Amino acid sequence: MERHWLNIENTPLEYSNPEIPEGINTTPVHPLKEFIVLAGGVLLLIAVAAIILILLAEFIALRIPFEVEQELVRPYEERLQSDKQYRNIEDYLNQLAGKLARVQDLPENMRIQVHYADNASVNAMATLAGHIFIFRGLLEKLPNENALAMVLAHEVAHIKLRHPIMGLGKGVVIGLAASTVAGLSGRTMAGNVLGEAGLLTILNFTREQEHDADMAALEALYKHYGHIAGAKDLFIVFQRLPESKQTGPEFLMSHPQLEERMAHINALAKERGWSSNATTTPLPALITNILDN
Amino acid sequence: MNDLITLLILLALGYVFGQIAEKRHYKSIIKRERILRKLPVIAAKFPPAYRIPPNSFLVMGSVVISVDYFKRFIASLRNIIGGRVTSYELLIDRARREAILRMKEQAQQLGGTMVFNVKLETASISKGRKQTIGSVEVLAYGTALVKH
Repeated sequence: MERHWLNIENTPLEYSNPEIPEGINTTPVHPLKEFIVLAGGVLLLIAVAAIILILLAEFIALRIPFEVEQELVRPYEERLQSDKQYRNIEDYLNQLAGKLARVQDLPENMRIQVHYADNASVNAMATLAGHIFIFRGLLEKLPNENALAMVLAHEVAHIKLRHPIMGLGKGVVIGLAASTVAGLSGRTMAGNVLGEAGLLTILNFTREQEHDADMAALEALYKHYGHIAGAKDLFIVFQRLPESKQTGPEFLMSHPQLEERMAHINALAKERGWSSNATTTPLPALITNILDN
Repeated sequence: MNDLITLLILLALGYVFGQIAEKRHYKSIIKRERILRKLPVIAAKFPPAYRIPPNSFLVMGSVVISVDYFKRFIASLRNIIGGRVTSYELLIDRARREAILRMKEQAQQLGGTMVFNVKLETASISKGRKQTIGSVEVLAYGTALVKH
């Protein structure tokens, strides 16, 4: 080590030049470890916040009157009207849905409106204000009225249990939270991804909701026909769908695995002594004719 | 989803190249610091008293270092939680030492025997601009004394 004598402002100073050890002004943390801890922690925080927000949103959504839901949808109602040529199908679907709503003790103010969509996707869905959509693709595959009734009863149950408004509440709250986070973090890439992580938590309906709808539909099916053959036939249709279609359509995407659903249905049927071996009601000629064209 | 893939690619690129650059830079810094150690650099305001007044020159060294995507991402996560921004500590440490080294190199070229009144200044290049990769400039300056 070299030593120098400096005389600064009449004060003698010894100056030496030792080798200064590394790491005084830095923190010895492996960057990857830091990354995992930070990203994991932030994602965990987001997940917890999202769950709390979702629970709150669902809690509030359940307390929104159905009339408000109808009011929300009214501006779009005109666009929901389908072609005149499908009036017959829709009348029939509405009648059947009406019967299934009655056996489910749907409250008076909840009006169900079924719409037929001339579209090849194997799908059906329930949305706000009692609107149900059935796609041609699904209708074509149904072997009998009982299977159709299972689909309709399932969608009616979603409406009765207020799942669409709960989903909307969830979407709004998460969307709001995500954009707030994205805004706060200065629209950086991290912010965008945090926002997306929030969105990933929303699926249409949860597995639990699907399960509840299945159980309610099964009971309605039994009350209406005295047997549950329709449920069995419907799941046979789903099972025969190619893999890609089983995960693709909305109706199935958020749905629990088919086997799991079937197991639950069989368990309930066994417990209540509901038979699934019975003569089924064929679909009316009106439907089959239109589908054939 | 696309955003996520882009992000992961950018993070990987940032990590790999950032680490390589950092390792190399530290190696060079440590080597050059060893060579230039014998040149005293002090922060005192006034020079030592000499019987024969020496010449003096302003010497400075400045460096601009860009932060890589990975470091920036870690830092933005840190912004949420708080705590030491370790990824930037390394960056600034490199920049400061490099700036001082460049200043010393200049002093040595002028035949200086010491540099006094050394000061450091830091500036961020992309001040206030979002969505841009930030760079930091560190400037070291002082007065070099050259004996006759």
